[in-house]
Amino acid sequence: MKLNVDGLLVYFPYDYIYPEQFSYMLELKRALDAKGHCLLEMPSGTGKTTTLLSLIVAYMKAHPLDLTKLVYCSRTVPELEKVMEELRKLMNYYEKEMGMEQNILGLALSSRKNLCIHPSVSKEREGKVVDGRCYSLTASFVRARHAADDAVPICEFYEGFDAHGKEFPLPPGVYNLDDLKEYGQTKRWCPYFLARHTITHANIVVYSYHYLLDPKIAEVVSKEISKSSVVVFDEAHNIDNVCIDSMSVKITKRLLDKCSNSITILETTISKMKENDSKRLEKEYKRLVEGLRDATIARETDMALVNPVLPSEILEEAVPGTIRTAEHFVAFLKRVVEYIKTRLRVQHVVQESPAGFLRDIHTKVCIDRKPLRFTAERLASLIRTLEISDLTDFSPLVTVSHFATLVSTYTKGFTIIIEPFEDRAPTVSNPILYFSCLDSSIAIKPVFNRFQTVVITSGTLSPLDMYPKILDFHPVIMTSFTMTLARQCILPMIVSKGNDQVAMSSRYETREDTAVIRNYGNLLVEIAAAVPDGIVCFFTSYLYLETIVSSWYDQGIIDQLQRHKLLFIETQDAAETSLALINYIKACDNGRGAVLLSVARGKVSEGIDFDHHLGRAVLMFGIPYVYTQSRILRARLEYLRDQFQIRENDFLTFDAMRHAAQCLGRCMRGKTDYGIMVLADKRFSRADKRSKLPKWIQEHLKDTNCNLSTEECVQICKRWLRQMAQPFSREDQLGISLLTLEQLQSEEMQKKIQQRAQGV
Amino acid sequence: MADEDETKEYRWESGYEKTWEAIKEDDDGLLESNVADLVARAKRKRAALKATGAIQLGMMRHLFVVVDASACMFLQDLKPTRFLCVLKLLEVFVHEFFDLNPISQLGILTTKMKRCEQITVLAGNQKTHIEALQQLKDFSCEGEPSLQNSLERAMNGLKNMPAHSSREILVLFGSLTTCDPGDVQKTIKALKDNNIRVSIIGLAAEVRICREIAKKTGGTYNVLIDDHHLKELILSQVQPPAVAGSIEASLVKMGFPGGTPNVNDGTCDSSADHAPAYCLCHIDSETSSLMGPNGYNCPQCGSRYCELPVECKQCGLTLVSAPHLARSYHHLFPIKPFMERSRVPDTAHCFACAKLFVEAETNVYECENCHQIVCLDCDLFIRETLHTCPGCASDPVTAQMKTN
Repeated sequence: MKLNVDGLLVYFPYDYIYPEQFSYMLELKRALDAKGHCLLEMPSGTGKTTTLLSLIVAYMKAHPLDLTKLVYCSRTVPELEKVMEELRKLMNYYEKEMGMEQNILGLALSSRKNLCIHPSVSKEREGKVVDGRCYSLTASFVRARHAADDAVPICEFYEGFDAHGKEFPLPPGVYNLDDLKEYGQTKRWCPYFLARHTITHANIVVYSYHYLLDPKIAEVVSKEISKSSVVVFDEAHNIDNVCIDSMSVKITKRLLDKCSNSITILETTISKMKENDSKRLEKEYKRLVEGLRDATIARETDMALVNPVLPSEILEEAVPGTIRTAEHFVAFLKRVVEYIKTRLRVQHVVQESPAGFLRDIHTKVCIDRKPLRFTAERLASLIRTLEISDLTDFSPLVTVSHFATLVSTYTKGFTIIIEPFEDRAPTVSNPILYFSCLDSSIAIKPVFNRFQTVVITSGTLSPLDMYPKILDFHPVIMTSFTMTLARQCILPMIVSKGNDQVAMSSRYETREDTAVIRNYGNLLVEIAAAVPDGIVCFFTSYLYLETIVSSWYDQGIIDQLQRHKLLFIETQDAAETSLALINYIKACDNGRGAVLLSVARGKVSEGIDFDHHLGRAVLMFGIPYVYTQSRILRARLEYLRDQFQIRENDFLTFDAMRHAAQCLGRCMRGKTDYGIMVLADKRFSRADKRSKLPKWIQEHLKDTNCNLSTEECVQICKRWLRQMAQPFSREDQLGISLLTLEQLQSEEMQKKIQQRAQGV
Repeated sequence: MADEDETKEYRWESGYEKTWEAIKEDDDGLLESNVADLVARAKRKRAALKATGAIQLGMMRHLFVVVDASACMFLQDLKPTRFLCVLKLLEVFVHEFFDLNPISQLGILTTKMKRCEQITVLAGNQKTHIEALQQLKDFSCEGEPSLQNSLERAMNGLKNMPAHSSREILVLFGSLTTCDPGDVQKTIKALKDNNIRVSIIGLAAEVRICREIAKKTGGTYNVLIDDHHLKELILSQVQPPAVAGSIEASLVKMGFPGGTPNVNDGTCDSSADHAPAYCLCHIDSETSSLMGPNGYNCPQCGSRYCELPVECKQCGLTLVSAPHLARSYHHLFPIKPFMERSRVPDTAHCFACAKLFVEAETNVYECENCHQIVCLDCDLFIRETLHTCPGCASDPVTAQMKTN
């Protein structure tokens, strides 16, 4: 249908629209008009993606000069594909309505692993290996060698692309990963490089967060995206963690050992080259004298090694003399690695600032800050010069070089923590150096500065005011939308006590208490007897999950549970977990019913949807506070307190509640879906926790359901499940939670939508 | 639940109803007219019929009723227990079923301990079924049910039934889980291939696999709200379903056994017909005794049966009596729903029961054919029980037209 959103003609590819989708468009348009950033929360399953796409495409068509490009960042490949499908639908609708081909090019970009069509390389399973092998076939020196000697293998697809692909841009249309591969097959062009090349002139680009947030990758992939773009971060509730992860480095003893090996390889290669071809090294030396920027002439295929964000003025400078020759640099690297090794030989935990670290490295091994800064760039240059084609072995050394560069570049917002052993196993020596980013705004700052509009959206962003603080930006629009429903299809409940009236809580003091564990067990057994098909349970940590399951086993609760449903457990092993998931789905599909025990913040809680029968109920055992004894977290909390005036407790509760909400949201994936949400902890009923739940959950959390015992909860479940099982058709939704064009235009509905927009 | 007053649960047992919210005052601040209106609407809703066009109905039905007898059937959310409540309702169902579908057959299965047990075989004798159901009451419920085993069992029983009959399975499923030996999808496919329709009534909550089975085999899936709703759901299965298009119409050979010797007409003149003989319905049971001269003889092979309708065990002929066929007939020509009209003052009383219309009753119902006016109660009675309009039947002209 065609909508009029505040004066803008929007083509919406469906016959019906949810009222909240319309409100969402209104807010989004306001943000685009203001050329500012915005923060929008709308429950999952209400068609966020299609709403975003249709409004932004319409805006691009109406104001082609103000808004040239949409960059849509998503988290996983399946999500990426979903976005492309919605976009395709939208484009088909445009074509049908306008009666002509649309001049819009949209494409998805992913790693080489997902895009490679080389017959043997694409068979590799690990992303790093694919990258390495691709590099060994497409690096410029390999190709140069091939020109001299036909026996050197190269990738024919890349050659094809290099020869012809750059002149002929991709015809307009929507390309997902498979389309790109197919196109590449027919043209014999490499789809990966084709996609990367096309990014600069495509109208809509869909890719992963990391292409924009991780400075190492962003530098290469997203450098040339114009300023008048809108950037959308979907499912962005964890965006601060992504930012932090992309800037943090972790160095273990094993990694350092591998570094020593790589250094020896470097040494031997250098000495060999000296004998055969000393000219090349000299040439490099001269280049380095002239400055780094020239050294990194955009030879795109040599992207495997890039430096983290360096202020560009440093790149213009010449590389310091101490590391200019290859031998000196290798010796320098050796010293750095050895120094870190000695630092790891500690008996107690050390925490220090980057400045302290720099002073120490200067006094101990006489390394200045300046050469340290150039480490990453210098290493990249060296590897290029030495023409080492197999890069996979060098990744440890690259990590160390990144660390060296980062530590000497940033003195604020980072900390170094060296732990001689893990807290859980204090007898086993396992020293680790964490170079941890404390400030999530560092990585995302360039994005906010560069693009005119950044949209951060997710199903669970509450409390909204925290994000502008921790990401350090000023949104023009900050809104949370609720879900209009024709029937009450979520049932959130807070269960605070068992049938024996003992309070349930995962508080540290009571978590070993058998009465609490037993009550949790009884709650699960009774819910399992009353709820059909799939139930997903979330615990606060793997450790807690393990202790609870073992005492349930002793108490016979596991046996009782298995009478009703099969039991599956998420573990830290990804392969094991995916096997458990497959069988869980199977058990739900054929009616046996299943319970999945998993962990908040785990893989299951983040990426996997349990729609319809796969998740009829979600149980949250305890509040998923992050492990508060962790020194990295302590450091971050301190930093947040000093820099942003965020109290420790506020941040911890915020973090716990967004993860809880994320877990609860797993079971709701649309308006025809329904699910029970049980929050099993006494503390959830306190106002500070409850008020931090997303609005769409809070709305249905009645006061009477905030302090239930197990039995009351089960009674409510039973009655509610029967109601939900009654036939429910589209007609029931029409006019309330689903609107036709006429209904949308009716004055009454417009008034309601206006109210909704103001209410939040 | 046949007698509503007797089984009315205690207030503290029933759910929380906000009855006052449904009542609103009218313009004069009175409640009375509103209450009457509510009652009438509820009644009318019950009788709301799907508009039945000229569709082919499976009048010869072969139905297996599968009763869940797993541990969860001992729960007391239906009074006294789920199991007893279901059995009691099934008795009503069996009775109604044979009343409306005299030439059909029914069998009963139970499932517990991951197995399926046959309680009665497919037969057209309602007495044996009701007796079996009564015996089931002392049955213990334990273990988990197996949907697949019961469906397979029922399918084996139905597979060899003639193609022109409709094959159905009705599952009363209390459990939320099923413990199956193999892939239930294969069973669903086999059911579909055999043209067997599976309807399921859930007693607790929506189970995905049940919905899927019902959807794929063309049956219905419903979940009860309370015991009254359950009764409605079970009784809605009494109406014969519309036949899927693939079944071809065919002629069915039927036997009309001669009457008892009291009715001494030409069909049963041979003296052998009246000689004492074992009745074939009960020949397997230990209590069988030599029958007197009463009974029905198969016109083809002469075997004796004590009840009709039945399929002859000797020669396989379907034995019915003419009234049975006549009773099945009304499914084919349901009377059209009466039109609701506001009451006009000149018709003072109901055509059917001659009751005077009172002020509170605002709506009356008119037959499209004969334009006679009846009251709400008669409308329901005609639709649910009588299946013929008294106005049309008493008018010689329209009655003639209808039979033509």
